[in-house]
Amino acid sequence: MPWGCGPGGHSVVVMVNAIEIDGLVKRFGSFTALNGLDLQVRTGEVHGLLGPNGAGKSTAIRVVLGLLRADGGSVSLLGGDPWRDAVALHRRLAYVPGDVSLWPGMTGGEAIDLLGTLRGGLDEGRRAHLLERFELDPTKKGRSYSKGNRQKVAIVAALASDVELLVLDEPTSGLDPLMEAVFQDEIAAEKARGRSILLSSHILTEVEALADRISIIRDGVIVDSGTLDQMRAHARTSVTARLTRQPLQPHALPGVSGARLDGGLLTCTVDPHRLSDLMGTLAAYGIESLTVSPPSLEDLFLRHYDGPSGSNGAGGSGGSAGSPGAGLDAGAPA
Amino acid sequence: MTSERLAGFRPLLQATARQDAHQIAPWVMLTSVLSMTSVLAFGWVFPDPASQAVLSRNVASNPAFALIFGSARDLTTAEGFNDWRALALGGFFAGLMAIFIVVRHSRGDEDSGQAELIASGVVSRHTRLMVAVALAGIASVAMGVVTTILTTAVGSTFLAALGMGATYTASGLMFAGVGAVAAQVGSDAHSANTMAVGALGALFLVRGYLDATGNEDWVWVTPFGWTQSVHPATDPAWLWLLPPLGLSALLVGMANLLLARRDFGLGLVPPTPGPARGGFASPLAAVARLLHGPALLTWALGFVVIGAVFGFIATSLGEVFGKNPMMAAVLASGQVTTGVLTAEFLAMLLRMMGIIAAVVGVQAVMRFYTEELEHRVDPLLGAAASRTRVFAWTAGVALLGPALALLIGGTMTGLVATRQDIGLSVGDVIRQAVAETPAVWVLVGIALLVIGARPAVRLAPWLAVVATFAITILGPLFRLWDWILGISPLWHVPTVSAPDASYRGLLVVGLLALVLVVAGFAGYRRRDLA
Repeated sequence: MPWGCGPGGHSVVVMVNAIEIDGLVKRFGSFTALNGLDLQVRTGEVHGLLGPNGAGKSTAIRVVLGLLRADGGSVSLLGGDPWRDAVALHRRLAYVPGDVSLWPGMTGGEAIDLLGTLRGGLDEGRRAHLLERFELDPTKKGRSYSKGNRQKVAIVAALASDVELLVLDEPTSGLDPLMEAVFQDEIAAEKARGRSILLSSHILTEVEALADRISIIRDGVIVDSGTLDQMRAHARTSVTARLTRQPLQPHALPGVSGARLDGGLLTCTVDPHRLSDLMGTLAAYGIESLTVSPPSLEDLFLRHYDGPSGSNGAGGSGGSAGSPGAGLDAGAPA
Repeated sequence: MTSERLAGFRPLLQATARQDAHQIAPWVMLTSVLSMTSVLAFGWVFPDPASQAVLSRNVASNPAFALIFGSARDLTTAEGFNDWRALALGGFFAGLMAIFIVVRHSRGDEDSGQAELIASGVVSRHTRLMVAVALAGIASVAMGVVTTILTTAVGSTFLAALGMGATYTASGLMFAGVGAVAAQVGSDAHSANTMAVGALGALFLVRGYLDATGNEDWVWVTPFGWTQSVHPATDPAWLWLLPPLGLSALLVGMANLLLARRDFGLGLVPPTPGPARGGFASPLAAVARLLHGPALLTWALGFVVIGAVFGFIATSLGEVFGKNPMMAAVLASGQVTTGVLTAEFLAMLLRMMGIIAAVVGVQAVMRFYTEELEHRVDPLLGAAASRTRVFAWTAGVALLGPALALLIGGTMTGLVATRQDIGLSVGDVIRQAVAETPAVWVLVGIALLVIGARPAVRLAPWLAVVATFAITILGPLFRLWDWILGISPLWHVPTVSAPDASYRGLLVVGLLALVLVVAGFAGYRRRDLA
């Protein structure tokens, strides 16, 4: 167990990661949902957990919440054991599931208050503010809410409670774009308050806008983790240049791979550390126009997913997962 | 530590109780009224020793009564009559209520996802189970209190009424424990309910078997025998209320141990992967198979057991009557023969079987409506399935299920009962059981009409089943007029082995069933979906 699990002093608690997962394994019968997952959410950061359906995002979150018991590895939540210390730890976190189911006969307002009571109280000012921001009618009953409005009930209940950690599992599924924007505003405000946030999503723009660091999950292991810049630094930048003179051997250009020359138009990707070298070399051929684009999150995400499971990225073995950017170059873009 | 183990108990219990009160109230009322009405009816129907003597003889001459209600100890006082009529049956209802409450609020909320938000709050994993058990406990106590008050109000002695209420509470607490354990083991709420209700039915049947075969001295080996041994009206044995409390505590403790070993949303039995493809000739058939298949299989097994037990008791009647001095005297006088009594016994048990078969059909219709409430019918109707076809599958299963159940149960009863010469052939017994089918279809038809046209009154079909039970089984004993007895569709089923059997009444009943079903179709085509 990495940090401060003992009854330790406060100095230790301050240093603790909000969530620290090492080699987590979770099996359902013969199916292995999580296969050695590593994940660190630092205190005070927004951590984006990216992955498609069925990658294991919700399973990981349910282990973190102490709803499922780990079959292997270690999980530390706010310095405690989520299965053993569930009650004490839940005082310090709030959760929004991706599929909110409400009591048919209970109004949204009642549901928010019940959830608040079960967490030890709500901030009334925040509750009123959030109801207004999300334009939620608290007098309707559970059965008559649409999917998006049920989602809002859980979001308001979570954000109005005074907690250290927010665990959000695809929280905006069913929200319209206007509400999505409100949600991003409010999460930014929560972050400014110093809360730690684990945000699982498959909406790339949401994660790009909010997350300090990102982990990409595939088939129950983390295949890439780090800040967007770190991920980019290890990924290749695409370059398109129109040259007046054609290089004889485009593949021999410094740091380049996948080079293609079509008339005077060179397209290739380049190791970002060798971009200056490439520019210097290209200058000698006379650059007429030049486009250099760092990879988008979408590029980063897709490259971990184009190809059969276990054959690209660092994810196959699961061994080097977790160290930022490790193994990114192993999987060449198609 | 205790506060930690039950963190969030009080607010969750309050919220759950408020949500659930309207679902619990009918159970409390129905069961209390059961006890109240037997005290009321006794004064009206059996006011003098002569009528009471007839009652005693009628009850003793048909062990089917002992099977359902338990052995009668004293049928000369209203309290004693109430002990016989309402104690075992009310305890059965109390147990059902407690099982449904516990499973609904433990596994049921996990299946529907409502518990997921709750579980992420400052709530121990034991809290939700204990809230469900506590709610079942409160409902059981409420049932006991209301029963005591109502029964005393109509003239019972207070102690007898209190004893009756206390046995209801005890039964509720026991089966809250059974429900709590089943909720940990079953892979979802549905299988947990099946498991717990199966246990309830089996225990009731064992108690009934002991009572009906003249082994009433041994009923104390079963949980329903414990509450029966309290017999508050004759010579109260209050200590028999303790074993139920002990069993309840034991089961709830066991459930909590099991709970600590299982994952949220999963039972102790891990799920197995199913087929990736469905080579379906008809998608609706596949949906119907998934929806109704497991329940119908369970019921089929249940009818094999019920049929065999009924048949087995039929073969022991001579012995049972021999042990009873009153019956021995009646038989010796030559007024009736054991053969006649056996035929009457079988006829009554087959009517009981018909009522249970109606439960199979009504339950299938209700299952279909639950699908609608959970929005699983929308994708079917959104695809190229018409409302008529979707409803037709429901109607088909709900009508054929009971027919098959009667065939299975009747065959088992016939095969087992005719191992001895009871004056009837296997074919007679089977034909008698199958002849009840149109009458059972009336009850299923009511369910189809209600769910098709007005689901808001979906309690009505269940009330119809209960009313049919009351009129069919108890009506003749209460010497009700024919026009009241005729309300029960089963009253119109002729004795098929009689030479002058007339099928006209059965034809009318069958036509009525047809009208109800057609009206259900018409309603379903017109109404809004939930």
